Amino acid sequence: MENPTLALDYANDLMYEMEKAFWDERGRGARFRMMNVGREYYMEKCRPLLQQADQDTLVQAVMDLLKRDGIVADVSYVRDDRLLKVAVKGCLHQAVEAKLISRGVEPFTCVPANLIVLALEEKLDRPVELAEIKVENGACQLLLVVFDHHPTLD
Amino acid sequence: MSETYTLVDATLKVIQDRRSIREYTAEPVSEKDLEMILEAARLAPSGENAQPWRYVVVRDAATRKKLGALAGGGSGRRFTAEFVTKKMQERFSSLEDEAKKKAAFEKLTSGKVSAFLADAPVCLVACGKKDVWDMPFDTSAAIENILLMVTALNLGACWVIAPCIDIRDEERLKGLLGIPEGFKAVSIISIGHPVRPHRPRPRLAVKELVFDEKWGERYFKE
Repeated sequence: MENPTLALDYANDLMYEMEKAFWDERGRGARFRMMNVGREYYMEKCRPLLQQADQDTLVQAVMDLLKRDGIVADVSYVRDDRLLKVAVKGCLHQAVEAKLISRGVEPFTCVPANLIVLALEEKLDRPVELAEIKVENGACQLLLVVFDHHPTLD
Repeated sequence: MSETYTLVDATLKVIQDRRSIREYTAEPVSEKDLEMILEAARLAPSGENAQPWRYVVVRDAATRKKLGALAGGGSGRRFTAEFVTKKMQERFSSLEDEAKKKAAFEKLTSGKVSAFLADAPVCLVACGKKDVWDMPFDTSAAIENILLMVTALNLGACWVIAPCIDIRDEERLKGLLGIPEGFKAVSIISIGHPVRPHRPRPRLAVKELVFDEKWGERYFKE
């Protein structure tokens, strides 16, 4: 590949256009259809690395992979009871969020968040909801809610 | 005493009387009524007359319980997200009764707002064939026909998207009912005999909704 930066710009432009089209089509409902974006990468690269079945180890393993693969420059998190507050710096897809925001669209999907959700849901069988994506000071602040279990009506 | 309506008045009355009903008696929905409801659905318009709708009739109590849990789980997650980001508090800011507010928050964040599917005598799962141009619009037209026929039959129904709106829940629903890849699970319509009548929800005045020739100039003047 002669110009890897061009390829990333090209990919991010396409991602922005597809996300914008999806927003235009579904509005605030679009976010609920995006939770599997990143699943192929999760299955091939992430899942084989997930050994331990506790929340912190799983989240750390996902974050380590994201950094190792250069998808993010840095990522950290804080647990606050059932809330998982994740800070992502230097994400490959940051340009997509910037363009959406410049067009008045609040970011509504995040691949690093989806990978964490996929890991916790599969390995711990705990439902997770991505509650918020904010871009502040050049970093993405993600808020996830981790629930104890899937409800039953038994 | 039976009332007599013109066709126009009867049609308008059915539209006006439609409510979203979430509480049902134990009385089952008769097969004859269900056939009428499905006939109304069958006659809906669709792009290219593609008729992409298919339905799964669920009466089994154990399956309905799973549908209720799926719906409640999805709603609970989404409303909890609204709560932790303070959006729910903003939405209810004009409600002054703190006890009512707390009860509303609990009903929403717990998912109980959608779990009533488990108690509906019939859950009608509306599915749409993906390989057509207009599936979401076609299936929505059919669902509205369902709701109106339900109303005409003196039954009650609720259009519930909670078990399908999140792609994860839709996948679980499709797995539960064996819905194939080529079809989307669009919504579930719960049907039964209403426990009680319901007041209508507020509606915007028609003058707020319509423009003359192009956007901006109101069609209906003051």
